[in-house]
Amino acid sequence: MNVVQVKNIEKIYGSKNEKHYKALSDIDFEVENGEFVGIMGASGSGKTTLLNILSTLDKPTSGEVTINGKDVTKLKGNQMADFRAHEVGFIFQDFNLLENLTAYENIALPLSLQGRKSSDISEAVNKIAKKLGLEEILDHYPTELSGGQKQRVASARALVHEPAILFGDEPTGALDSKSARALLETMEKINREDDVSILLVTHDPFSASYCSRILFIKDGKIDQEIKRGASSRSEFYQEILDSLGTFAE
Amino acid sequence: MLNKLALSGIKNRLRDYSVLFSGLMISAAIFYMFMSLATNKDFLVKNSPSSVTSVIFGFGIVLLAIITLVYIVYANGFLLSMRQREYGMFMMLGARGSKISRMIFVETLVIGTISTLVGTLIGVGLTQVLSGWLIDTLNMQIKHFNAFYLPAVIYTLLFFVVIFAIAAMRNGISLRRTNVLKLLNSEKQPTRIKKVGLGKLIQAIIGVVSLGIGYYAMLHLAQGVYLYLATAVIGITLGTYLVINSLFSWIIKVLKSNKKYSMKKLNNFTLSQLGFRITDYTRILSVVAMLFALALGAITTGVGFKGLITKTTDSNNYYDAVVHDMNATQRKNVSKIDVKSQATYEYKTLKGGKTVVFNQDQFKQHNLKVKDYSKSINNVDSKVKYLNYNFSTKEQIENIQLTELWDQLPGAFEDLQAKVVSGDEYAKINAKSSTLTMIKSKDFYKNISAIKKVALYDAAHHYSSPFGQKYQNYQLASGIFSGLEFMGMFLGIAFLAMLASCLMFKILSGAASDVKRYEMMRKMGVRDGWLSQSIKKEIAVLFLIPGILGVIHVLVGLKMFGPLLPHPYEGIFYPFTGFFILYLMYYVITTMLYQRIVLKK
Repeated sequence: MNVVQVKNIEKIYGSKNEKHYKALSDIDFEVENGEFVGIMGASGSGKTTLLNILSTLDKPTSGEVTINGKDVTKLKGNQMADFRAHEVGFIFQDFNLLENLTAYENIALPLSLQGRKSSDISEAVNKIAKKLGLEEILDHYPTELSGGQKQRVASARALVHEPAILFGDEPTGALDSKSARALLETMEKINREDDVSILLVTHDPFSASYCSRILFIKDGKIDQEIKRGASSRSEFYQEILDSLGTFAE
Repeated sequence: MLNKLALSGIKNRLRDYSVLFSGLMISAAIFYMFMSLATNKDFLVKNSPSSVTSVIFGFGIVLLAIITLVYIVYANGFLLSMRQREYGMFMMLGARGSKISRMIFVETLVIGTISTLVGTLIGVGLTQVLSGWLIDTLNMQIKHFNAFYLPAVIYTLLFFVVIFAIAAMRNGISLRRTNVLKLLNSEKQPTRIKKVGLGKLIQAIIGVVSLGIGYYAMLHLAQGVYLYLATAVIGITLGTYLVINSLFSWIIKVLKSNKKYSMKKLNNFTLSQLGFRITDYTRILSVVAMLFALALGAITTGVGFKGLITKTTDSNNYYDAVVHDMNATQRKNVSKIDVKSQATYEYKTLKGGKTVVFNQDQFKQHNLKVKDYSKSINNVDSKVKYLNYNFSTKEQIENIQLTELWDQLPGAFEDLQAKVVSGDEYAKINAKSSTLTMIKSKDFYKNISAIKKVALYDAAHHYSSPFGQKYQNYQLASGIFSGLEFMGMFLGIAFLAMLASCLMFKILSGAASDVKRYEMMRKMGVRDGWLSQSIKKEIAVLFLIPGILGVIHVLVGLKMFGPLLPHPYEGIFYPFTGFFILYLMYYVITTMLYQRIVLKK
C-alpha cells in the first residue's frame, strides 16, 4: 500500500501580470507504507516547495497528492488543518518548539488538539517519552534543553499522535554531529520497529544515508533515484556521494 | 554612510515606528491636556468651590508622571530592541562602539523631541476640540480656560525632553556594553520562564497589604494631605504591581494544574501565552489599571457633578417658566415649549400696592404645586415632594408666601399681604388686575432653549424676582458645578485615550515576535478558528486584569470626593456602562489589529 502518491504535480509562482517561475514540474512518485524516503537537492531545487505541498501548507498549480487515501489538494480550510493534525507529523530544522510550554506540554499539544482525554494524553506522552529517552526532561522548558534534546522533544511531538507519515525538513541541520547521529538512529529505529513512514528532506549525504530510497531533485524535476537495497549504510553513503558527483554536473 | 543606513533601517520598519511614534505622541498630548488644567490656577480657583480640587489635581500630577515615565521606558525598550540587531551588524562590519552609541543617543533624542513637539501640538488641538464639544453639549459655563496655555506647554516639553535625554544616555551606554554577538542575536534571546513558588505568595500578601494601606491613606487625606497622599500613591501603585505580578501568575498555575481543563484543545497554549505575557506585561498592566481607575473615576465624578446641577435645579423650582402678563410675543415663545401643564392665575393689587387678591376659583380649577417643607430638609439630599394647593384652608393661605407664585409678585419681599377670595367676591373688587402664567414642560432640559427665551424675555420686560426662575437657578447651579464636571469629563476622556494607547502599544509591539508561534501552530494543524479564539481569550484577560483592579480602585477612590459630592456612588451606573462600552470597543479593535498581524494568510 502506498501512504503517499504524487501524480504529475506542477507548481508555478507569480500571478498573471508577473514573470512566471516554475518551481516544480512533472513530479511523480510514491512512498510505500513503512518506507523511509529521502529527498535531496541543492538550495533552490524545489525541495521545500515539494514538502510544503505534501504537507498541505501549499497547493500545487496542477496535479494530485494522495496521502493515506485522501486527495489533499482538494481539502479546504479546517479540513486542511484537521488533516495536518491527524495524519501528519513534522520535524523542522529549528525545532519549532513553543518556548512557553514545557517539554511535556509541547508533546501533548497534538493530542489536546484532537480532544483526547487527559488520562489518554498522559499515557501516550509517557510512552513516546520513554521510547525517545525524554522521561527526565519532561518538566523542562525548551530554553533549558540542549539542541539534541529539543529535537528529540520535537520528534516526540511529531510522533505522539501516530501520524500516517512523518515529514522531516532538515531535522539535523541545527545539531552537532553526535546529536545528529543519535536522532537519525532514532528515526531509523521507529521506522523499522513501528513501521512509521518517513519522508526526509535534506541536502546532507550523511543524513540521507539512513534512508532506504533517495529521490534527487534538480531544477524542480526528479532527476535521479537510488535505492539502498541490501548494501550497508556506509556503502550507501558512498553511493550517494557518487550520485551527487554526477548529479551536480 | 552609517547615518544613511540607520535611516533606511527606520524606513524598513515603518509600521513599528509608527506604533512607537503614535504612542509617544498620544502620551505627550495627554500630559499636556492634564497640565493645561492642573497648572492653570485661575481656572481651578474660579471653577471649583472647594480647596480639595487642587489636592486632587496634585494627586493626579504625581500619578500621571509615574505613568508617563513607565510608558516612555517601555517605548524606549521597544526602540532599543528594534535597533539592536541593526546596530550589532554595523559593529560587526567594523563601526566603532562610540560611534554607534552616539547614533542611538541622537536617534532616541530626535524621536523623543519630535514626538513631544507634535504630541503637544496635538494636545493643544485636542484640548480645543474636546473642551469646545463638552462646553457645547453639556451646556457648561467655564471661566478662564484656554486650549493654549503656555506654562502647560513648557512643563510638558521640559518633562519629556529631560526623560528622553536620560533614556538616550541609557541606550547609548547599554549598547556599548552589550557584546556584538548578543546584539546580533537579540531577537533569538530566549525569555526565561519564572516558576511560581513561595516568592509569589509573599508578593501577593505584600501586594494586598500595600493596597489596603494605600486605600486607607486615600480615604483619610484630611488627616495630613501630603503624607497621606504620598502613602496613597506609593501604596496603590506598588500594590497594583505586586498583585498583578503574583496573583495572576498563581491563578494561571492553578488552572494549568487542572489537567482536565488545561489539556483541552488550546487551553494550555492560551494559559501559557498568558503566563508568559504576564511576567513581561506586569508593569504595563499596572499602569493601565491606574489609568483605568483615573479615567473611570474622573468620568464618574464628572457625571456626578452633572447630576448635582440638575438636582439642585430641580429641587429649587417646580415650574419651568413663569410669564407675567402674557402677550403675543410670549405666547409665541411659549408655543415652542413642549408643555405638560399650564395655568394662568389672575390677581388684583389693591390701592397702596400693599395687598394682592387672588381668585380661589382659579386655584380650584388648577391646583398650585407647592413644595412640602415638612418633608424636604436639604435640597440636594432628598427628593422634593409637592403638594396640591387650592387655598381652601387657613394654613394654605398662610403658606402662600412660600410658593413659587409668590416669588414672582412685584414687591413680594416688601411686606406685601395676600388674600384669596371666592370668585364672586373677586369680581366685585375694582382694582388693576394682572396675570401670572405658570408653565410646566414635559422635560426642562430638552426644552431648555425655548424656556431660556421665555425666561429672558420675562426678566427683561417685567418684575425680576431675586429668587429668579428655574432657568436662572439652573444657570447658577451650572456655574458652580460646571467647572468640576468639565474637569472630570475632560480628564476622564484624556486618560481613557492614554489607556488605550498604552495597552494597544504593548500588545501590538509584541505581535511581530508572536507571528512565528502562530505560524508553527498552524503547521501543526491548528484550525484558524481555534487560534483566533485563543487570541480573543488571551487579550480579553489582558484587558480584564487592569479592568477589575481599576474598578476596585475607583469604587474605593470615589469616597475621596465626599467633600465635593454628597453622594459619590449615586448614579454611577451610567458612567460605568458608557465606560465599559468604550473599553470593549478598544478590546475589539486591539484584537482585530493583533489578529491581522499574527494570523496573516
